[in-house]
Amino acid sequence: MTWLLPSALAIAGIASVVLIVAHFIARDRPVAEPLPTARFVPDRRIQARTTSIALSDLLLLALRVAAVAALGLGIAGPIAAGARGRIARVVLLDRSRSVLSLAEVRDSVRAAGAADALVAFDSAARMLTARSIDSIEKSAAVGSLSAALAAAHGVAGSLSSHADSIEIALVSAVSAEEIDAATVSIRGLWPGRIRVMRVRADTSSSVSSGLELPRDPNDPVVAGLSLLPRELGGEVRVVRARLSAADSAWGREAGHVLVHWPAADSATDWPARAILDAIGGVSSASGAIVARLPRLWSVSGRAIARWADGEPAAAERPFGAGCIRDVAVVVDPASDVTLHAPFRDFSRALLSPCGSARAFSPLDSATLSQIAGGGPLAAARILRGGADDVSRFTPWLLAVGALLLLIELAVRRSSRMAA
Amino acid sequence: MAAAASYGALLDAVRGVHWPARRAVSSLLPGTHHSTLRGTSAEFTEYRLYRQGDDPRRVDWRLLARSDRAYIRLANDRAVLPTTIVLDASASMAFPVTTRDKWRLAQQLTIGLAAVAHADGDPVGVALHDANGKAAILPPRTRRDVVAEIARVALAGDPGGSEPLAPLLRSLRSARLVLITDLLGDEEDALRAVRAHIVGGGEAHVAHIVAREELDPPRRTLLAADPEQAFVQRMLVESTRREYEERFAAWRADVARRWRAAGASYTEVITDEAAPRAVRRVAAAGEQ
Repeated sequence: MTWLLPSALAIAGIASVVLIVAHFIARDRPVAEPLPTARFVPDRRIQARTTSIALSDLLLLALRVAAVAALGLGIAGPIAAGARGRIARVVLLDRSRSVLSLAEVRDSVRAAGAADALVAFDSAARMLTARSIDSIEKSAAVGSLSAALAAAHGVAGSLSSHADSIEIALVSAVSAEEIDAATVSIRGLWPGRIRVMRVRADTSSSVSSGLELPRDPNDPVVAGLSLLPRELGGEVRVVRARLSAADSAWGREAGHVLVHWPAADSATDWPARAILDAIGGVSSASGAIVARLPRLWSVSGRAIARWADGEPAAAERPFGAGCIRDVAVVVDPASDVTLHAPFRDFSRALLSPCGSARAFSPLDSATLSQIAGGGPLAAARILRGGADDVSRFTPWLLAVGALLLLIELAVRRSSRMAA
Repeated sequence: MAAAASYGALLDAVRGVHWPARRAVSSLLPGTHHSTLRGTSAEFTEYRLYRQGDDPRRVDWRLLARSDRAYIRLANDRAVLPTTIVLDASASMAFPVTTRDKWRLAQQLTIGLAAVAHADGDPVGVALHDANGKAAILPPRTRRDVVAEIARVALAGDPGGSEPLAPLLRSLRSARLVLITDLLGDEEDALRAVRAHIVGGGEAHVAHIVAREELDPPRRTLLAADPEQAFVQRMLVESTRREYEERFAAWRADVARRWRAAGASYTEVITDEAAPRAVRRVAAAGEQ
């Protein structure tokens, strides 16, 4: 048991001692003493008080001391020892594509110690129970430490009333792709250090392991893409016509990349550009094509390829557990640009997994130190904000004190009437 | 005997004290007090002419021979005075509570006066109420150990309650009644009983026991409670003290006047007075 305001206990103790002393030095109606000649004393109404050194009115004294003690305890604010000194732990579990093995992640989570809250994250974060840790699966989505830290901050707020300190254990590959512009800022909001338990990152090829192309040998794009390694087929589907319901259903699945690369104007409902023109080149993260290419549509979303003037030529938008990439690059069927290596290099970025090309490179030590931070664990009272250290016993103790004072009043009145 | 022995100093101190009757007594038994009867004792008083019916043996034949007149010799008779000491054992006598000075002095007076009466050859007894309110009466006797018996009865008494004295006084037939009391009980009734006793030819003495603490109560705020009347509780403070003293003094003076007017011998005894001196004063008061 600890106290929010221990000095209140001292004040209550002093008040109790004063009460007891006051009861010892009781000023009360004199005790009747026999005097056979009392009849000769004038019968007048005289209010007299005497001072005596003796413990008097034990019931009243007990009530008063109990009331003072209850009020003192209430103001002192007892906190159960279980809450004081206790460390609540929030474990952030990375299930994104960055981690190599989810089993390793589970082991690390268990090694982190008993978790009061378990948060699994990839691009988004969600709460887990300890039982469901074995049932989670690895996600193909890119991890987001920002989402994880934000979720941890929220969870920690709910744990702060039951703990003194809160620790965040981050079980993650902590790869560069999991960091975004907001990560450092969000991390800065956490008022303590973070225990980073790094697991091995998935450093396999950044290109999807399968590629599904339309069966149209006369399509120059299909022809160009078919020159990519055959083992790419399977998780990336390139659609040159309108998207069908089957395509949409396929694209919703985790890790699937649906590349909508219309061959003509009739294959899409994208808004047409205000001015239809042509430009001399387009580039992606993996390469560039230098050719005269018409610009028919405007695409929206996260740009993964841009025209030479910077306007997005291809964009990615999340779709279910996968993503759809709209590629507005129209290739002249008579051109042989798709048969050359630059097209294949350019296309690699378009066929990469959702979330752009994988940046599995380990985070630099400076950023990692920034995320881990230093100093003590986060103090729960800081997270509680304005509701700083409120004892749940205080209202009850104050109520008991008030009740005792009422009883004392009633007893005092009844004893006066009896006297 | 042991009780009497514990009062040895008192008995020694009152040895030689006489307690004469206040008037001639009419007892037939020979004693030390003047009798209302004229008898044939050796103490010649006067001659009186023979009247028919006088005992011829009382005729002074020598005087008849010289004067040819028949005179008979008269002599003062001496008679005993049966004495009963009535000891007030009411609750007010157990004061002060810690020392019981009033009760102790009353016991000493009882024993001392009994010893004086016994030394004068008078039968002496004692009467008081016991702790249960019953009257304990030891009739007047002249035997040697009567003082010890009286001491035993007096020492066995325990003041308490508020039994009236008047019925007890009326029930006694002794010629001399000695009332040792603080007169804080049924004083009016007791006075009436004593007056009747005096009118009937007896004599009465009252030793009024007053505690020094009653005359001079503690000088502090005091809630005075009458031990015999629980409902009487008065606050004695400095402002009421003077009036208390005046009332008490006036009452004592009135009591002394009324008892003396009734023919009783009244003696006020304060608790800080030595018992032998008090005994002498009570005994001497009868001679006045």
